[in-house]
Amino acid sequence: MTPDSRELIDRLASEYALGTLRGPARRRFERWRASTPFVDERCRFWEERLMHLAKDLKPVQPPAHVWPAIQRRLNLANRQTGLRRVRSFALAASVLLIIGAAALLYWRSPPAIRATAVATIVAKTGEHLWDLQVLGNVDRLVVRAANLPARPAGSDYELWALPAGAAPVSLGVLPAAGASSRTLTVMQKQALARSTQVAVSIEPLGGSPTGQPTGAVLYVAPLRTPS
Amino acid sequence: MNPTPESAIEFDRQLEGLLNRCAAADSQALQRLYGLVSPILFAAITRILRRRALAEEALQDVFISIWEQAGQFTAARGRPMAWMMSIARYRAIDLLRRERLAPTLVAQPEEYRMIDADPDSEGSSAAWLPSAEAMKRCFALLSEQQAHCLELAYCNGSSHEDIARLTGSPLGTVKSWIRRALQSLRQCLES
Repeated sequence: MTPDSRELIDRLASEYALGTLRGPARRRFERWRASTPFVDERCRFWEERLMHLAKDLKPVQPPAHVWPAIQRRLNLANRQTGLRRVRSFALAASVLLIIGAAALLYWRSPPAIRATAVATIVAKTGEHLWDLQVLGNVDRLVVRAANLPARPAGSDYELWALPAGAAPVSLGVLPAAGASSRTLTVMQKQALARSTQVAVSIEPLGGSPTGQPTGAVLYVAPLRTPS
Repeated sequence: MNPTPESAIEFDRQLEGLLNRCAAADSQALQRLYGLVSPILFAAITRILRRRALAEEALQDVFISIWEQAGQFTAARGRPMAWMMSIARYRAIDLLRRERLAPTLVAQPEEYRMIDADPDSEGSSAAWLPSAEAMKRCFALLSEQQAHCLELAYCNGSSHEDIARLTGSPLGTVKSWIRRALQSLRQCLES
């Protein structure tokens, strides 16, 4: 990298962090950031330094209904209610568990956690990349990485549901190796229910900063009902 | 009020700990994080978007991104507040573009009156601000016009064109002020 190109990157990073880099140039720069560690490093430098400009910003308490809305979108309210119930009835549950232990001996087939939709993401070369399983009855998405292509430094692969007639909905960053299991939000479940395909895009480390794909869409795979 | 270095470090550690717990799907950590940083993020978003309903939607999006991306945050790559503030500002800028909002450059007082600033909220201690001394010294080198342009761009989400209209200055002049301001900051911060 020449000193000139370093200076250009630094200038663009400062305008990106300031917010004056707009439109297609901003999208292009985000893709560049996703694939180039030096660009990402300069963006972080400016993001941290320019925060000083917010020094006179007076905190504003968000309206009370915003947090419950976040809880609903992330399906956290049910989880917390569940936790409270578990704590409240812990003693009773313990007793019941002891009494019920004998009955469990006769329990032959607990409800199966089953995949309600699956997808296999393959490269154009036929290389097997990821397997996805949507466990609809427990609201989880399981992803197993197989043979991954070399990932550009400072970037992540992000998975998207493609609901019919609506914008893509992020299903999170894909694991670089091994398997991951995550809880699906209500929005993600609804999007998956209306999707016949999923897609993978390349994004800045940690995933798209905008909530929509910002990098190139590399793979699209059909979402099918398991046989 | 400027934070002491100790309070800033302590605040960063607290945020890092909460982000780590969010990465482990601890929803109570997200609630605590929301209590700590939502007032300042909401202030930043509201100032850019100027519409209450849109700002609330953006704040929801921001905390969903924080929850989903918490595992990707590493303290070695920067301060947690800068990371969250960037998510918030970029989301607001993105919504601003998508909603094709008229670039209103004068605050809409009736909108602001609907949201009460809370001086006692936890985010008001300014511990989230970057180290003050170096920044103060470098920002003090900027001309009044340069500093004003940077503030309009950063805090209001104003484009070059918006700033030219607001200040009554030619577009080329505004671009030049901003370019030179950033250049001056770069030289000062790296010296």
